[in-house]
Amino acid sequence: MPESANSHPAVRVTPVAGGLRLELSGDWTKETPLPPFPEPTQVIEWADGGLGRFDSALPAWMIAVEHHCLPAGRPANRDRLPRRLLNGLGLTQTDVAVVEQPRRLGKLERIGEWADLSRRSWARAMAHIGETAVAMLRLPLGKARVNWAEFPRLVRAAGPDALPITLLLGFLTGVIMAYVGLIQLTKVGASIYVANLVGLAMAREMGALMTGVVACGRTSTAYASHLGSMNVTQEADALRVLGIQPVEYLATPRILALLLVLPILSLFATLAGIVGGMAVACGSGMAAEQYVNQVVDAVSVNSFLVGQIKSVAFSVIVAWSGCYRGAVAAPNARGVGEAATTAAVLGITLLVVSDAVFAVLFNLFDFS
Amino acid sequence: MSAACLSCDDLSIGHEGRPVMSGITFSLRPAEIVAVVGPSGCGKSTLLRALAGLAEPIAGSSRLLGTDLAVAPESERSAALRRIGFLFQSSALWSSLTLRENIELPLREFTGARARERRLLAEHRLAQVGLLDAADKLPAEISGGMAKRAGLARALALDPEVLFLDEPTAGLDPVTTANLDNLIRRIRETLGTAVVLVSHDVPSIERLADFCVYLDSETGRMGQVGKPAEFLATDANPRARAFFTRHREPV
Repeated sequence: MPESANSHPAVRVTPVAGGLRLELSGDWTKETPLPPFPEPTQVIEWADGGLGRFDSALPAWMIAVEHHCLPAGRPANRDRLPRRLLNGLGLTQTDVAVVEQPRRLGKLERIGEWADLSRRSWARAMAHIGETAVAMLRLPLGKARVNWAEFPRLVRAAGPDALPITLLLGFLTGVIMAYVGLIQLTKVGASIYVANLVGLAMAREMGALMTGVVACGRTSTAYASHLGSMNVTQEADALRVLGIQPVEYLATPRILALLLVLPILSLFATLAGIVGGMAVACGSGMAAEQYVNQVVDAVSVNSFLVGQIKSVAFSVIVAWSGCYRGAVAAPNARGVGEAATTAAVLGITLLVVSDAVFAVLFNLFDFS
Repeated sequence: MSAACLSCDDLSIGHEGRPVMSGITFSLRPAEIVAVVGPSGCGKSTLLRALAGLAEPIAGSSRLLGTDLAVAPESERSAALRRIGFLFQSSALWSSLTLRENIELPLREFTGARARERRLLAEHRLAQVGLLDAADKLPAEISGGMAKRAGLARALALDPEVLFLDEPTAGLDPVTTANLDNLIRRIRETLGTAVVLVSHDVPSIERLADFCVYLDSETGRMGQVGKPAEFLATDANPRARAFFTRHREPV
């Protein structure tokens, strides 16, 4: 068919007994603006008044007209329409226009819905914590069904593979603290205490915290996306249908892997931070030996213990947040992405909250 | 007459508390094959999940091998689940394991079989579905049809008494479909396994099913239960009849 310029779609409305005759003419394509709907009526009689080219825009418009203008359930008279248009109308099995749009919720209803979602979300989190705790308790009793085959890979991924980035961040944290400390301490002639500052901060706080943050970004998100993907591919269901609890089977080895490696990584990060601080201190004229002596004097065994206790707690938090978000991920690509993001956010939030709780507790029990 | 290995009584299933299908009542005896049929989105897969304890029914009850999975204690539930096999629509092979390891996993977890025996049994199952050559491949390295067959091999690993098959022949070529049908029939004959089959493949259903359950999405209730031939009768549920006869009509 040769291409020709579009003539505008037109509808001529003429009154007939009890209703309207709608005569269609012109080209009805997606590119041309469609005419407005006629007034509501009791009868619609369609007619061909010189119909040109048309695509699916015309049947869509006609069905919408019938829905808007006719009483519910009353059919229009389509007897005078050409066969090719009737075929196009026949493709629509359901009257698309009568599909009810979901009602928009009011403000109060939205608050109610949010509250209900929050309640369900908390209930799910509590249930997952409970299941994880039961699984961890069943472990020493030899009753837990755990995927040990995956354990070496999990340990390697969470530990040795994360060591370079942990060392780098630990070192740079030490460098930053030393720089900031030196600026203030030099003013009062106490620059030697930069070693105390860096040593204590790294051993008690920053070593464990930075390692936890790295694990959140690296390991927790990996757990969430892996377990979330298993929801998409029904792999988790395939375990359930065998009577294997995915929490026990999948979460337990992940928590154990992080429990094993995070305190060690934290120790490495602490040492790297102290070395970073030393690099800055030495650059500002302090002798390395003097720096080391100051650190040894300032940092007690208890300070290292504080960091290690925190790192043990952090490892559980990081692993749990990844496993939890993965377990409840919606079984689709978006769900997996959200699981990874929320695992990192949840993990880091819980790390900071628990760090604050630890600070209060250690102060309360005078553990320094 | 042997006791039912699976039964459901006025079962309602759905999503997040909203019922999709109600009034599902039927029972299945050992070595019987039931096909659950109906239009897309009517709740066939959800019914399968509910019967296998993966989803909680909204109302009514079902018993799998004498156990009501919705209320049974965990130990009883696990024991019942160990006696079933489930082929998922997406095959659901564990992606980090090879095909052989996928079949060995349930054997390792639930039988006393040693490594050598596990390997032998896994290879036996893979040979049954024609995948012995692909035993050491990962699920990502095989086609969708091969994954379906591997999923079936895994579902058979523990010699199940009840086998749930969710669209086993979807996406398979006619020859593989016929082979799979033969395999399912052989399993039923040799092991006495009862099969719950969800499928849209009418020729396959007619070859295999002893009876069918039609889920009528228009009424939201079970529309008809009967032998496949009964669905062709003029007094059959018209939508169920259309499901069975439509493919025979000229385009």
